[in-house]
Amino acid sequence: MLGFAARRLLVSIGLVWLVASLVFLVIHLIPGDPAELLLSQGGIAPDPAAVEELRERLGLNQPLWQQYATYLGGLLQGDFGYSLQDEHPIAEEIALRLPRTLELVGAAGLIAVLLGLPLGTVAALRAGGLLDRMLSAVAALALSVPVFVVGTLAVLVLAQQLKLVPAGGYVPLAQDPLRHLGLLLMPAGTIAVGLSAVVFRVTRSSVLEVLQREHVRAAQARGTPPAAIIRRHVVRNALTPVVTVIALHLGTLLGGTVLVEFVFNWPGLSGYLVRSVEARDYPEVLGIVVVISALFVLLNFVVDLLYAVIDPRVRHG
Amino acid sequence: MGHGGLRRLALPGGLLAGILLLALITPWLPLPDPVRQDIAGRLAAPAAAHWLGQDEYGRDVLSRILWGARVSLSVAFAASLLAAVAGTLLGILGGYFRGVVELLTVRVAEVVLCFPPLLLALLVVTLLGPGATTLILSLAILFAPGFARVAYAETLSARALDYVTAQQALGARSGRILIRTLLPNIAPPLIVQFSLTIAAALLLESGLSFLGLGVVPPSPSWGLMIRGARATMEQAPLLLLWPCLALSGVVLVLNLFCDRLRDVLDPRGRTQGRPGFLRRIAALPTPASPASAVPGLLAVEGLTVALPGPAGAPLVRDVGFTLAPGETLAIVGESGSGKTMTALAIMGLLPGELRVVSGRILLTDDDGRARDLLRLPEQALRRLRGNDLAMVFQDPSASLNPLLRVGVQVAESLHAHGATEDVQARVVALLREVGLPDPERAARAYPHELSGGQRQRVMIAAAVANQPRLLLADEPTTALDVTVQAQILALLAALKRAGGAMGMVFVTHNLAVVAEIADRLVVMYAGEVVEEGPVTEVFAAPRHPYTAALMASMPEGEAERLSAIPGAVPQPWAMPAGCRFAPRCDFAIEACRTAPPALVAPAPGRRTRCLRWKELA
Repeated sequence: MLGFAARRLLVSIGLVWLVASLVFLVIHLIPGDPAELLLSQGGIAPDPAAVEELRERLGLNQPLWQQYATYLGGLLQGDFGYSLQDEHPIAEEIALRLPRTLELVGAAGLIAVLLGLPLGTVAALRAGGLLDRMLSAVAALALSVPVFVVGTLAVLVLAQQLKLVPAGGYVPLAQDPLRHLGLLLMPAGTIAVGLSAVVFRVTRSSVLEVLQREHVRAAQARGTPPAAIIRRHVVRNALTPVVTVIALHLGTLLGGTVLVEFVFNWPGLSGYLVRSVEARDYPEVLGIVVVISALFVLLNFVVDLLYAVIDPRVRHG
Repeated sequence: MGHGGLRRLALPGGLLAGILLLALITPWLPLPDPVRQDIAGRLAAPAAAHWLGQDEYGRDVLSRILWGARVSLSVAFAASLLAAVAGTLLGILGGYFRGVVELLTVRVAEVVLCFPPLLLALLVVTLLGPGATTLILSLAILFAPGFARVAYAETLSARALDYVTAQQALGARSGRILIRTLLPNIAPPLIVQFSLTIAAALLLESGLSFLGLGVVPPSPSWGLMIRGARATMEQAPLLLLWPCLALSGVVLVLNLFCDRLRDVLDPRGRTQGRPGFLRRIAALPTPASPASAVPGLLAVEGLTVALPGPAGAPLVRDVGFTLAPGETLAIVGESGSGKTMTALAIMGLLPGELRVVSGRILLTDDDGRARDLLRLPEQALRRLRGNDLAMVFQDPSASLNPLLRVGVQVAESLHAHGATEDVQARVVALLREVGLPDPERAARAYPHELSGGQRQRVMIAAAVANQPRLLLADEPTTALDVTVQAQILALLAALKRAGGAMGMVFVTHNLAVVAEIADRLVVMYAGEVVEEGPVTEVFAAPRHPYTAALMASMPEGEAERLSAIPGAVPQPWAMPAGCRFAPRCDFAIEACRTAPPALVAPAPGRRTRCLRWKELA
């Protein structure tokens, strides 16, 4: 098990390095000068002297390999450089905002699993029945409404019209835990709408598939009670694809909370990214993309470990 | 299935066609200019001139929704098309040439999948600036790897098809093979992928536009409209509703279309009927007939199993036999003869939608009372399973749960029937009894750590854990190596000797095994019993041509289909009118083909379903 984890960890570290290098290369090799791009907002050609000054300041006049070495060296020390707009250290801003995004994604994932897993299992066990058809229709609907539409409509109805919840915002946990959780509920619930539908669908089809397997019939032939069969022989065996899909979607969400953070004024990492993109602040964009990609890789590593926990064949393979 | 599938496709297909048509003809509709501002009519409510009202700049909302559909759909369509062409090309090239080409195409494309999609789109927008062209390009980059994967996988499997190899052997040029043979094969999954991508592209486009990083104002786009309407949410909530409805509605129709399309193009993905074990098993109504005094352990009478529906074809018809305590009965037949169905019916574990239509299955309990298993409620039957009745299945690697230690699965038999003390010790003792070396360790092993023969020993241990009075063994040696087969047979024989009164029903297609293990023999063909009798007598003098033919093919007895008998078992819905074996029978006469022959007794303890049994002798 330890050897397995170590192997996977090495692969993951290699992947992070690959992604970081790739993003760096893409930004530097694509035609167009970052300095010029930054200064040429509004379609007016920038002052060449100003561009030259900025190039010098950003180290863009150095040879590419030297820039790459500086960049990687910085990454290793957790240094992502400084914002072009306000000279603020990027690592500091990321450290401040990342936990908020992670909290949002985590809460959404938790709600989705708590809803999708049991409902998907029940729907599969009653496949073709009224309950199954109703749940499947709701899931199809939930999958079709874009997340920012869900959020916007939730604000419109729950906050504006019914005045049940605040329309958005953020209060640190340490300052007011109750208010913090209250504010977390709307954005997390919004993300969870689509995510639960995904979890529901995968669980349903996975459980249906496992139910047809021979070992379920063999367990019945031993006289095992239905509840134990579902718990031990069905749900557990159905988990692998469910875990895969949840991980995939949580990974997507790491960069995909943009819309929800925007709708609910949640000051997370994604909002920071949108601001950087709008300002074409490329060191900021680079830093955020690398951090999110690294988390994505880390998530896949955790999923690999989870597979090993679920399935002994993976552990020994 | 094709017709039903196409009919199911009609509704979302029609809706989708309507939406596309509406987007196409928008320029020719009598609509106000979608970008003309009218400050006086700012946020005006719906009126005759503006059916859905006017937005924050006084522009006509209906017109903007329809023009927005044009913008959103054409961006999504263009991006999907670009992604499909590029991705498919990469996938086919990678899958066809493999090696370095594969590395440069498929693997490189897969790197894109390492990024969260929205993040990648934002990265492209940073580099190129917002706008429709950037949008199409970034969406295409995002979705191309999906196509590359599908095309790659399908190309790999198509490559291995016989006719592609054959064409290459005939010297056809690579390019021609690619176009002529691969494309039709990979088209269905690609079409599904394409419609999925359009829905995803639509979502991403609207999301980016909503953030102000997609379509550039004043062009109408649903994402932009929602963004704009958010600011005036309090005064004009309806303004928010229309683009939300339009966007969600179109995505819903697209998703529905994809689901149905996948069902039509790729029926493999269709979910099966409801699982067998949770349906409320409709126990047969209690008959008026009194439980006749049945000698012996098990009596199956007139068992008929059929597919559901009034015209459900019977898979097992009027099957009957008896079993005495301590006796071993073999049920022999080709696949499709109904022998496994008969065994599963006794356990009450028929798969899927199969139903027992009529008959009785009487099991005598310790006090000598006979109970009809077909009329027991599921609860009571469950208490018998694994206790009085036990079953060993054909494939031990499939019938053990790969995620649970084998000891746990053996213990399940004990727990299910009330054992609470010394379960672990009893499991180890059972594993020792079935001949597993180092049973303490074996109990902690996972199924994949054991060999096929050891797994079957575990299954047998679980089956005999509660000293069943009836053991059903369904081809327990078929999936095993020949040498292991003999060991498992020896184990079953030893268990029976030790078990005393335990009766065994042994289902097999292998007559050599029958000779070794069974006392009596039931031969089944096409769902019916065709011959029955003591093994030695039947082997010495078969009274049915089918039994005789089976015996003639005994040297090849390993094969599931017996090559010595021409033809195949008839399908349940296409049974011959007369004797079911007549079409394959060398002895058949006209009378055999007109009316089904009855079971007759050529000698005490023997039965045959043949008109000409006397002439066989």
